[in-house]
Amino acid sequence: MADFALTRRFAGRSSIADAAFKASTWCFAVLVLVLLGAVIIALIDGALMALERFGPSFVITETWNPVRETFGGRAPMLGTLITSAIAMLFGIPISFGIAVFLTQLCPVWARRPLGVGIELLAGIPSIIYGIWGLFVLAPYMQAHVQPLLIDTLGALPLIGPLFAGPPLGIGMLTAGFILGIMVLPFIASIMRDVFDTVPSMLKESAYGLGATTWEVVWNVVLPYTRVGVVGGIMLGLGRALGETMAVTFVIGNAHHLSVSLLAPGTTISAALANEFTEAVEDIYQSSLIALGLILFVITLIVLSAAKYMLIRLQSRTGT
Amino acid sequence: MTRYRRRRLANSMLLAFALGATVIGLFWLVAILATLLFNGLTAINLALFVETTPPPGSAGGLANAIVGSVIMTGVGVLIGAPVGLLAGTFLAEYGHYSRISPIVRFINDVLLSAPSIIVGLFVYQLMVIRMGHFSAIAGAVSLAIIVIPVVVRTTEDMLNLVPNSLREAAFALGAPKWKVVVMVSYRAAVQGLVTGILLAIARISGETAPLLFTALNNQFWSLNLDAPMANLPVVIFQFALSPYEDWQRLAWGGALLITFAILGLNIGARALAARGGMRTGA
Amino acid sequence: MADSAATRGAAFVPVRATSTVAAVANPAVAAAARQVKIEIKDLNFFYDKFQALKHISLSLFDRKVTAFVGPSGCGKSTLLRVLNRMYELYPKQRAVGEVLVDGANILGPGQDLNMLRAKIGMVFQKPTPFPMSIYDNIAFGIRLYEPLSQSEMDERVQSALERAALWGEVKDKLGQNGLGLSGGQQQRLCIARAIAVKPTILLLDEPCSALDPISTQKIEELITELKTEYTIVIVTHNMQQAARASDYTAFMYLGELIEFNLTSVIFTRPEKKQTEDYVTGRFG
Repeated sequence: MADFALTRRFAGRSSIADAAFKASTWCFAVLVLVLLGAVIIALIDGALMALERFGPSFVITETWNPVRETFGGRAPMLGTLITSAIAMLFGIPISFGIAVFLTQLCPVWARRPLGVGIELLAGIPSIIYGIWGLFVLAPYMQAHVQPLLIDTLGALPLIGPLFAGPPLGIGMLTAGFILGIMVLPFIASIMRDVFDTVPSMLKESAYGLGATTWEVVWNVVLPYTRVGVVGGIMLGLGRALGETMAVTFVIGNAHHLSVSLLAPGTTISAALANEFTEAVEDIYQSSLIALGLILFVITLIVLSAAKYMLIRLQSRTGT
Repeated sequence: MTRYRRRRLANSMLLAFALGATVIGLFWLVAILATLLFNGLTAINLALFVETTPPPGSAGGLANAIVGSVIMTGVGVLIGAPVGLLAGTFLAEYGHYSRISPIVRFINDVLLSAPSIIVGLFVYQLMVIRMGHFSAIAGAVSLAIIVIPVVVRTTEDMLNLVPNSLREAAFALGAPKWKVVVMVSYRAAVQGLVTGILLAIARISGETAPLLFTALNNQFWSLNLDAPMANLPVVIFQFALSPYEDWQRLAWGGALLITFAILGLNIGARALAARGGMRTGA
Repeated sequence: MADSAATRGAAFVPVRATSTVAAVANPAVAAAARQVKIEIKDLNFFYDKFQALKHISLSLFDRKVTAFVGPSGCGKSTLLRVLNRMYELYPKQRAVGEVLVDGANILGPGQDLNMLRAKIGMVFQKPTPFPMSIYDNIAFGIRLYEPLSQSEMDERVQSALERAALWGEVKDKLGQNGLGLSGGQQQRLCIARAIAVKPTILLLDEPCSALDPISTQKIEELITELKTEYTIVIVTHNMQQAARASDYTAFMYLGELIEFNLTSVIFTRPEKKQTEDYVTGRFG
């Protein structure tokens, strides 16, 4: 040991450094909370003017008229929900299939490369999905898929109107479809992870009774991981609701809501991306921020629910 | 035996469906990359890297947008990564018994998936309105806000992999806690921490939505952080939606660049994480 | 139960003064040579509500090797971790009682933990080399408290490695990562690292449990050499190791100190039936 005075000095200095370091990590951890609060406050502050002017009718009015300065958010709100619903309709079964394949069927050596391939899909920026959607998917939809839908489903009673109108290529269906592709990797990788939490003993005892893979998945794996699967789906939904660029390219930006899924529409995020920088009037901008606020609140709720479910699964399996 | 046959059939159908789903999933990856290569390769030439974005109808490059993207991504990471590192350090090293830790963890995970366009709106309200104009620094701040939750998450996860015995060994030498964290935990987890930052860079380099209302765009060379700055994603957005063929071609070139840069980052980060594992010897 | 434990624990304190048995058993251990380095008085330890140590009273002698033995969960590691207050890292753990090191109660509120741990070295079950060079592993602890010149530091690093019997094996690769060494070398590196800061006490928590027999033998030889300078406390599962390497042995069971005496006595003529059963391998 060096002489006493020296070590005392060292100890004193390092206890100050210790407290300072701990305090700074604490501050930044709290900053994460502050960030969320600040976002909400800033959005409320910006949205206040529109919310005061239009009141609750903002969410049910469809008029979106910058010239007359009357705004209602019904079309983008419904557009957001509809495109996300289409995305889920397409994304959930495919994700489920991928997760089943990766966890139950795939030979071990192929698991990692295939898993990475799916995860890379999540790495592709949304603007790339957008540009691809506009130049590749939309023309294809226009030429092949949509005419087919119009001729078949469009002729049916009840659901017919959903598939009516000219094949434009762009529109709600195409946007929802692209969103579906985008959320695929998120949902699939969470499902894969939660499927992997099923104890192999549990699966083996079912196989031991002569169950087929399908029966094991349906009767053992899914019930065991139900909460996590739903959590993963909600997480994908949260992503789909807030996704901007991929949708903006192919939605058509129409504030008029049409029954047909083939018609152009808009979503909250697409409206923001398209119009925000052009919105010079205060009330126009405030209305757009109000839409942003609504979007943020909805996604917060969906994502919180998702997180809550995943935590529940985690605490149960103790991983 | 018919019952057994039916079960077999159901099983085969599931297997076929699962295989089909995986093929479909990977098909998009291939389709998108193939389209990018097909349309983008013709746009890749020297001019792309040395000339600035042209006015409609003339030739040019993306030099200003590439540099702008690099600058804003760099500044965004410089701001966001330390915040995320320290906050993640709190969760992993100090906050085990703190009451705010679960809340921070929960909110962080929510922010991780929150719509990025909202971040743009927030920074617009926070900075652009106050400063009176769009600026690169506002763009960098919004990217930083996206970086933070990514880095918080990976930092916490990676530090949690450092065995406690290593920390105890440092404490046993009389090291104060901050030295244990900085000199032992960080060192042991360094590859994981770098992986997290690489993933964060990959995440923000393609972000478009938060830049639309913050950095906006700039047709000319500008390195001024206090002025609008060109950046690849927004240029791609504008050029792709334009009716001019030159612009669309540049958009494809930019899309190719950005996608392969990001995929490269992703693969590099994974390789780093896989190669290093935890350097603890335990 | 608690009472009887207390009296039993207390009964061991006079060992120093009255244990003629011990003196006879090993006349070399003269009373004068047995200076008390650490005195544990009525120590109780709690993991939240679970009491892991019950009324432990025990004296550890200067420059002697004391082994803590007993079946898993008997509290021997817990007791070791009280001696440098390592348990303080975990909020729900607390110790009640007194531990006097050179007469000063280290469980007292005024004790600076970092200073305490700098004076008491510790080596763990698994080798814990820091992810840095061999040189920096040794220098790490020294740099914390002593601003040495490069040449002074070089000397200290060399002497620490020499005393840990590792110098010859690593002197040409001091710049290499400590993780590249074999398990036994890593453990000796950890011992070198602990003695580099010049502690007076060394705590060894099952230091050989992850090592092969040859490495174990080297570490045991090292312990025998180091006891000329340090007070060594070793926790071990291995009865032969306790018999070979230690001067005194404390046998613990279910959080209580059952018997403490010269190792030779514990292994040949234990007073308690439980001790005899354990050291002869009849249980545990």
